[in-house]
Amino acid sequence: MSRLIALFAIERDEHFEIIERFNDKSESKIIPKDTPKTKTITYEHPSAIWFERKISDDFGIEFEDSFDKRPLLRHERFPLEIHPMLKSFDAKKELTFAPFKPYKYEAISGDGVFEVPVGPIHAGIIEPGHFHFSQAGEDMLHQEVRHFYKYRAIEKMVEGKNLDEVKEIVERISGNETIAYQIALRDIILQSANQSISDELRAYHAMLLELERSIHHLTDLGFIPNDAGFGSALAYCSALAEEARRVMKTLTNHRFGFGSIQMGAKSYDKDEFDKWLSYLQTKMSKFESWIMDIPSLWDRFDTTGILKHQKAIKYDMVGVVARASNVAIDRRDNEYYKNAGWSIVTENSGDVGARFKVRLKELFNSIKLMKEFNSRCSDKDIEPININQFSDGRYEAFVESSIGELYLYIEIKENKIERLFARDPSFINWQGLHLMMPGNIIADFPLINKSCDLSYAGNDL
Amino acid sequence: MIKFWKERAKSKILTENIKLEDEINILRDELKGQIKAKFAGSLSIRMVDSGSCNACEAECNALSNPYYDLERLGIHFVASPRHADVMLLSGVLTFNMLPHVLDAWEQIPEPKWCITLGDCPAMKAPFYQTFAIKAPASEHLPISYHIPGCPPSPEEIMKGLVGFLRGV
Repeated sequence: MSRLIALFAIERDEHFEIIERFNDKSESKIIPKDTPKTKTITYEHPSAIWFERKISDDFGIEFEDSFDKRPLLRHERFPLEIHPMLKSFDAKKELTFAPFKPYKYEAISGDGVFEVPVGPIHAGIIEPGHFHFSQAGEDMLHQEVRHFYKYRAIEKMVEGKNLDEVKEIVERISGNETIAYQIALRDIILQSANQSISDELRAYHAMLLELERSIHHLTDLGFIPNDAGFGSALAYCSALAEEARRVMKTLTNHRFGFGSIQMGAKSYDKDEFDKWLSYLQTKMSKFESWIMDIPSLWDRFDTTGILKHQKAIKYDMVGVVARASNVAIDRRDNEYYKNAGWSIVTENSGDVGARFKVRLKELFNSIKLMKEFNSRCSDKDIEPININQFSDGRYEAFVESSIGELYLYIEIKENKIERLFARDPSFINWQGLHLMMPGNIIADFPLINKSCDLSYAGNDL
Repeated sequence: MIKFWKERAKSKILTENIKLEDEINILRDELKGQIKAKFAGSLSIRMVDSGSCNACEAECNALSNPYYDLERLGIHFVASPRHADVMLLSGVLTFNMLPHVLDAWEQIPEPKWCITLGDCPAMKAPFYQTFAIKAPASEHLPISYHIPGCPPSPEEIMKGLVGFLRGV
């Protein structure tokens, strides 16, 4: 069966168009404006549910036979007569809070079964989101993930702007995936201008993407053991992550790499960077032989939060989470990356331990890739190519971010953005998070959640 | 495990030999004095994200890595607003988060201060104003101090906290 990547709507003059993007095909459905109704595809693709609820909120399109028609991004105090993505709705209009309308959570009821609501504000330095647990004592029976507290309306914000004007916005959709978003936008700009970049510049960008992935993985390799009560791993890895951020700062003049994917590049000290990569390799080899040999830690990791292979496929999961359940999806699966030394990393068990191991192995793979890309980079400054003409059309780009497959769609009309749709890998993976809960105790939830480390900002847009 | 400790013992203090830069050491001493003088030894911060891109959160998390180690100064990020002196607010104050932010603010016992972190809450980040954004934060909360940056680096956050303490 095809894998669902994205499902989104576009308003035309006469009708709505719904685009169903699968891994092997793209289908388009026309919905009349006077009776905006259609059929759901959630029975074949459970991960379509948030897409459909979002479309209903954004455009007022009803999915008649859907089992879940609750609002998604229009929360308790959001005026329900407003569908913000309609062209007739002014993006700058000031909204006033409507009377509180309770949200009906998915919950299990029964003798001794109780609910635990958690969030949106959590007990730590984390992004806001709500988790709703149905509990039988310590055991989790079910969990509902509810998001869109960080809904900034970015899709609406960028409409009518040209591609240059939205660069800084797109790179701030999700801070820990900023390079991935910038590369996706770069690909779309190049397509629409019918231009290409030099091999040297491409290698430089690919290197930055692997550096971003390394920082993200290093952070997680510290935080996951920390959530299992093993703090020294956090001390070890967070120091390395900090050093990697400083390397990013040296290369791009920004600790996260905001504004770093340009059509030209400044030269940097290649030998110095290569030396740092060798240092990181040695440090992580030591880390590996240490961390893999701690039985009490692996007692917590193994068999915790299992995502079964069949479920990962059914829910169209992507990225590290999918690969840990032996689903071999990676957008780097192409000749360019293979020639540079990329190889797929998968694990079988689908538990916290598997996700940890995937991250660790991918980090080693990223170091190898960075060494190769570094050798391909230019010694001198790369003169920027000038791009200011964007031809009309529909463009899409895929990038493997540090979380998983990122999809960006931009439609340009008369040099302006008619529609931008970004599907963060987190958007798909959040919907599969609840599958990992049954059979685990609630105290393991933070550990399971951290092992997936999904973005809230990229999900909510 | 034994292999790891053998390795560590060989390199005396820290295997990694992480030397804190002099600048951070100066900053650290200054911070410690300020906190002792104004907050009897500890300052409790409740970090609230109201719609950031998550880079500000990453930098706050970085404050506890071995290079900065903020907790040694007596500055703690606490789990509940009821334990806090200061609300550290990041993000553009989204329509969906605003009621929860105000709720958290109400839960902080007096005396309390609100510090805004990063360009977002001041509406200086490169976003266009939309219906879903309720920034600037100063329209909804009494802001005592602002730490600019997109995102501010851990050093800038530490310097910002010193600046705030000087003004209290």
